[in-house]
Amino acid sequence: MNSVDEILDYAIDQEQQAADFYADLAGRAEKAGMKEILLDFSAEEERHKERLLAVKAGGYELTPEQEVLDLKISDYLVEIDANENISYQDALIVAMKRERAAFQLYSDMAEQVPEGHLKEVLDGLAREEAKHKLFFESEYDERVLQDN
Amino acid sequence: MSLKDLLSPFYVWQRAFEKPYTSIRPIQERPGAAAYRGFHINISEQCIGCGTCHAICQNDAIDMVRVETFEGRNGDSGLRPRFDYGRCCWCALCVDMCPAGSLRMSNEYTWITSDPTEYHFTAGVEHTTWQENPLGYRRADGYHLYPPKRIEMDMLAADKSVQSFDEVVTGYSEEQAKLEADRCIECGICVATCPAHMDVPDYIRSIRDGNYEQGLQLMYRTNPFPATCGRICTRRCESVCPVGIQGEPIAIRWLKRFIVDQVAPQDYARILADPIGDSGRRIAVIGAGPGGLSAAYYLRKQGHAVTVFEAQETAGGMLRYGVPSYRLPDADLDKDINYIVSLGVDIRYNTRIGKDIGFDTLLQDFDAVFLSTGLSVPSSMRIHGEDHPRVLSGLQVLADVASGRDPGVGRKVAIIGGGNVAMDAARVARRFGADVTILYRRRIADMPADAEEIHEAQEEGCHIVTRSIPVEIIAADNPQQVSIKWGEAEMVQDPKGGRPRPVLQEDRMHVETYDSIVSAIGQGSDLDFLTKEVQEQLAIEWGKFTPGEYQHTQLQKVFVGGDVANRVADAISAIEDGHHAARGIERFLNPDAYTTTDEKGELT
Repeated sequence: MNSVDEILDYAIDQEQQAADFYADLAGRAEKAGMKEILLDFSAEEERHKERLLAVKAGGYELTPEQEVLDLKISDYLVEIDANENISYQDALIVAMKRERAAFQLYSDMAEQVPEGHLKEVLDGLAREEAKHKLFFESEYDERVLQDN
Repeated sequence: MSLKDLLSPFYVWQRAFEKPYTSIRPIQERPGAAAYRGFHINISEQCIGCGTCHAICQNDAIDMVRVETFEGRNGDSGLRPRFDYGRCCWCALCVDMCPAGSLRMSNEYTWITSDPTEYHFTAGVEHTTWQENPLGYRRADGYHLYPPKRIEMDMLAADKSVQSFDEVVTGYSEEQAKLEADRCIECGICVATCPAHMDVPDYIRSIRDGNYEQGLQLMYRTNPFPATCGRICTRRCESVCPVGIQGEPIAIRWLKRFIVDQVAPQDYARILADPIGDSGRRIAVIGAGPGGLSAAYYLRKQGHAVTVFEAQETAGGMLRYGVPSYRLPDADLDKDINYIVSLGVDIRYNTRIGKDIGFDTLLQDFDAVFLSTGLSVPSSMRIHGEDHPRVLSGLQVLADVASGRDPGVGRKVAIIGGGNVAMDAARVARRFGADVTILYRRRIADMPADAEEIHEAQEEGCHIVTRSIPVEIIAADNPQQVSIKWGEAEMVQDPKGGRPRPVLQEDRMHVETYDSIVSAIGQGSDLDFLTKEVQEQLAIEWGKFTPGEYQHTQLQKVFVGGDVANRVADAISAIEDGHHAARGIERFLNPDAYTTTDEKGELT
C-alpha cells in the first residue's frame, strides 16, 4: 500500500469487515437483546465506512490533528471469544479491542512512512480509530463500570 | 350682612395664582425605608413552588398557579405564587416562611393603574419594576419559623457497631419523632418525587396526632414495605425536601420507621383490614423481592389468587441477600413480608423458573405473569487473573452472611467498587475483623453508594482509595492470598460533556497483597430462564426489559418490573413497579371496567 487511495480502500474494507462481523454475530446471538446491540455496532461500523468513502471522494476531511482522549480501558482487559453466547459487557470489550487494534495498526504504519500526505492520512485514520475506541470505551465506562 | 362678608368668599381666588404649598405627587419623593415591606419579589428560578407561602397567608392573598417554564423540574411543583393585592396586608409571613428563600419584598409601595386586575400578579414571572430592587424586607440570616436542623438519630458508635451485626440506627423516641414531625411544612413536594408517591405529609401528621394506626394505613396505600423502607430507602423525598434548602431535610425515612415500629405485627390485620375476595383469576409472580411481593400484595387485594415463584429458600430478594442485618434486621423485613403472605399469597420457595417449571407453563396456567427477577449476576472485572480463588464476589459475600455463613474474607481485604454492595461488603468484612481497603476508580463524590453508607463505612474504619483502577490480579506467594495491580487515575473532562472520566496513569502503578479481593463493580440480569423465542418477543435493552404503560410487555399476559426493568434499581422503585403492574394487570383482566379516555387509547 503505497498510495493514499490504497490506504483508504484498505481502511474502508476493514470497516466493512467489522460491520459484517457484527451483523453475522447478531444473526447467531442467543442472549436477550444482544441481536439489537450487535446490529447497532454493525450500523456504527457502516457509518465509519461511509465517512471514509466521503473522505476518499474528497467530500470530507479526516479528524483534524488533535489529541483524542484515551481512557485506556481496553488495554488491560482480557481477550474475549466472540461467540453466540456473548454478553453486553463482552461485546463491548470485543468492539473496544478491535478499534484499539486498528488504531495501533495505522499508528504503526504512520511511523513507517516519511513526512507527507500519506503520513497525514495514516495519522488521520489512527485518530478516527481512536475516536471509535473512545466511543466504545465511554459506553463501557457508563454501562458496565457503573459501580466502579 | 356687610359688604365684606359678601365679598370674602371671592378673596380665596387670589390664592389660585400663588405658588402651591402642596406638591403634586409627594409620595414619589418619599421612598420606603430600606427594609420596608413593600411589593413582593420572587426569584422564580430559586422558587420550587412548594406553596408554603400560600398555606401560611392569613388573608388568602396567595394562589399557586402553573407556570409552564418550571414544569417538569425535579423537586419543583411547576407552580409559582400569584399575589392578590386586594387581600394582601404585607405582613411578610410568606417571606419569613419561604423555605427556598426565594420570596422577599421591595421597598416600593405605590402602584397606580386604572386596571384593578393588575393588582393580581405572579411575582417573578410577570414584569414588575421592583423585581430587581435591592432594598426592602428580607428575612434575617439564621431566622427561621421552624427549626432548620433535624433531630439527630442515635446510632451505635463505630467501635461498637463493627463488633456485631446489630442494627446501627437505634430509632427515634416518641418525643424525638414528634419534634421532627413538627418541622414538616406539609408542602407535598416529596410526594411527587417519591417513586411510590407515598403520602408523606399525612403520615407525618399522624405522628403529631399520635395516631400511628392511621399512619400505617396511609403508608400501605402505596407501599407494603414500610418497615423496610423506613430503614434502607434511598429517600429521594429527602433530597427535594424544601426544608433542606436552608437547613436539613425532614428525616422522612426515620419518621416512617418510627410509625411502623409503634405497631405490633399482630395488629396489622385489624388496622389495615384489607378485603380479600375471590376474583377467580390466577396470577403468577416470578421473584419474591420487593417488586414481586408489592405486586402480589396489590393483586391479592383485588381478590386474585397469587402464586410467587422464588428460586431461593426465603423471600426478600436483594433485601434479604444483599442488605446486611445491621442496616435491615431480618425481623423488620419479615414484618413486611409476613403481612403480605398472611393475605393468602402463596410463595413456592426453591423453585426456579426455566428449570423446575417452564415459563410456557406459567403462561398456560395463569391469567397473567409478573416478572421481577432483579439483578443477580455479579459483573466481572474482565482483567487478567480474575479467576483466582481468592477473588470473591461482593454479592456472594453478602449472601453468605445473610445465610449465616462465614464468607471467609480473611484479615486483610480489598473491595473493588463504589456502590452499596461494595460498601456493605466492606462493612461486613470489618465485622469479621478484617482491615479493609476500598479501591474505587473515581472520586468519592461519584460513588453511587448512599452518602450515609460511605460515611458509616469510613467511620467503621474502611479505608477508601479513590482514583485507583485495577488492571491485573496476580497469584501471591502464599496460595491463601492474592495480589492486585492497580494504577492511579486522573479525572479528565470528557469533551462530549458529562461527568469526568478516570484515565489510567501507567507510570503510577501499585501492587498490594490481600487475603481476599472482593469484586463489587455492579450486577446484571439473568434472563436465561426465558426461551429464545420468548426473549425475541420482548423489548430488552442492555439486559433490562423496557416495558410500556403499566409495566406491560409485548407479550399479552406478561408484565415486568423492579431492577430488571428500571434504570434506578432501588427498592422503592421496584415496589412502585409492582404496584403499577398490579394496576396494569387489573386493567388487562377487566378491560370493560375501565373506559378509554385519553387520545393514546390508554385505559384509564
